[in-house]
Amino acid sequence: MGEYKDITPGKKRIKRLYTAIMLWFVGRSIQAAAKIDDDVKKEFEELPDQFLFSLGVTPDGPRMLVGKDVNGRVKYLGSNPKGRKINVDMTIKNLEAAILLFTFQESTAISSCHDRLTVDGDIPSACSVVRILDMVEVYLLPKIVAKLAVKRYPQWSTERKLMGRTKIYLRAILGF
Amino acid sequence: MHIPGYFEFCCRVKTLAGHNALESIPEALAQLQAKTPLILTDKGVAGAGLIDIVINAIKDKMTIGSIEDDIPPDSDLRVVNHLAGVYREKNCDAIIAVGGGSVMDTAKGVNIVVSENADDLIKFCGAGAIKRPLNPMIAIPTTSGTGSEVTLVAVIADHEKNRKMLFTSYFLLPDVAVLDSRMTLTLPPFLTSSTGMDAMTHAIEAYTCLAKNPLSDTHALAGIELLSQNLLNVVQNPDDQEGRLALAKGANLAGIAFSNSMVGMVHTLGHSIGSVCHVPHGTCMSILLPYGLEYNLHKNSEFVAEVLYPLAGPEIFAKTPKNQRAEKVIEYVRKMNQDLYDATGGRHSRCFKEVLNRDGKQMVTKEDLPKISKTALGDGSIFYNPEELDYDDCMMVLNAAWEGTPLNRNKIKKG
Ligand SMILES: [Fe+2]
Repeated sequence: MGEYKDITPGKKRIKRLYTAIMLWFVGRSIQAAAKIDDDVKKEFEELPDQFLFSLGVTPDGPRMLVGKDVNGRVKYLGSNPKGRKINVDMTIKNLEAAILLFTFQESTAISSCHDRLTVDGDIPSACSVVRILDMVEVYLLPKIVAKLAVKRYPQWSTERKLMGRTKIYLRAILGF
Repeated sequence: MHIPGYFEFCCRVKTLAGHNALESIPEALAQLQAKTPLILTDKGVAGAGLIDIVINAIKDKMTIGSIEDDIPPDSDLRVVNHLAGVYREKNCDAIIAVGGGSVMDTAKGVNIVVSENADDLIKFCGAGAIKRPLNPMIAIPTTSGTGSEVTLVAVIADHEKNRKMLFTSYFLLPDVAVLDSRMTLTLPPFLTSSTGMDAMTHAIEAYTCLAKNPLSDTHALAGIELLSQNLLNVVQNPDDQEGRLALAKGANLAGIAFSNSMVGMVHTLGHSIGSVCHVPHGTCMSILLPYGLEYNLHKNSEFVAEVLYPLAGPEIFAKTPKNQRAEKVIEYVRKMNQDLYDATGGRHSRCFKEVLNRDGKQMVTKEDLPKISKTALGDGSIFYNPEELDYDDCMMVLNAAWEGTPLNRNKIKKG
């Protein structure tokens, strides 16, 4: 008998689970960052009322939605896009590409440049979303990792970075 | 050579190129099973007698549905709808677009409306909303610049609602592009120079920005060589037919490269200056190209250095030590601008303070720069630029490009 490859559905399930958890966490972190960081706040203020964006894996992979509510507050809105009007839709082509993105081996910008991530919707808003994602990544990740995830690691004060990081982690985990 | 982990490349536009390429249009249309084309163009192209040349080349072999030359310099939704009406009324089954970027955009818009039988174009807005092939379309560029005969985008402005609709789909690629030297022969030298530098920017940005891949690279390098070898010569000798055709091919190659690998900050800033101050696109590109290269150099000098060979030729390439080639490219581009400035009696601008409108008034003032920078942050090409670009970065580059002084490299934030 020749060699044959194990078919391991478990591996795919783990990738899917990992991606779903990351999306959930990033979504809640964006909500938190919009409260505590002035630059993130400003990006959101410039976006249209009840703006909604989605980041997820196609086809029917995990997904997250973040948007502004009627009062302009930024909220993580779960993972179900059904019946919602999405202004900016970012789609990762498959789980492998999602893993590259969420293990921070590839930046959002590079992903879209390498045709792994497609962006649909209003372009100026999409540019804002990418800037927001970059800032949130700088908060969430240690410098050595974030440096690979963004084009240029920003020169923030240590206070902004450490205080912000603590607050965002707390808020994202506790969900407020 | 840089090979990304994954990339996509697509160019399925059939190209007819030659001094008598127009004569092959009837056959090309027959292959597409079309026989009654609607010819779309603008007043400038028609006034220059170019439509007469096209018609003479094809009229014996087919019936022309109608010739419409009312396309404004900025594509417009109402015009698109009106022309779609003409297409239906005259029972046309194909479109021949003759002109520059806005004629191509308009023609693509008309084609969406008539092929999809759409009443509202907005339904097809965005990436990939057009899902099936459109009716036959032939593109005949009359400048050697935009490359829109091979691009899959169309921008249509809805002036009533004050918005711009962007369409991207492989189905927006024209079926056939015709490069005929007669179509660019009468283009005035200063337009030849600025549109030529637009094409050069497409090739250089495609080669040096983030979405490069081996297939678009080969197109970009060939484009750079053809453009560089012929641009100044054609500006000095506008009647040079061989040179004209070479430029058309160069712009075509550059168009294929950038429609697959996109462009970077030269276009980010250039689009914004165009929309805020209405400076012609090619002029913005000529001025900004050296600045875009300088700004990104710490990220992509390896790729910029490789541009020297097709840009300056084997001798200069061989004479320049490896670690100086990238700088030499920037110097060479600046020299091209200076030579074109001299050859056009000063009409090819080298910096923004030199750009004047018809009344001799400055088109870009220093007060415009903040608004331009803000607009730039919303331009999609910013994704593909190697280095990050924030508001302050845009201001720094624009200030230097306004004055015409090289960038202060120490001020470029490197993270
Ligand atoms: Fe361009």
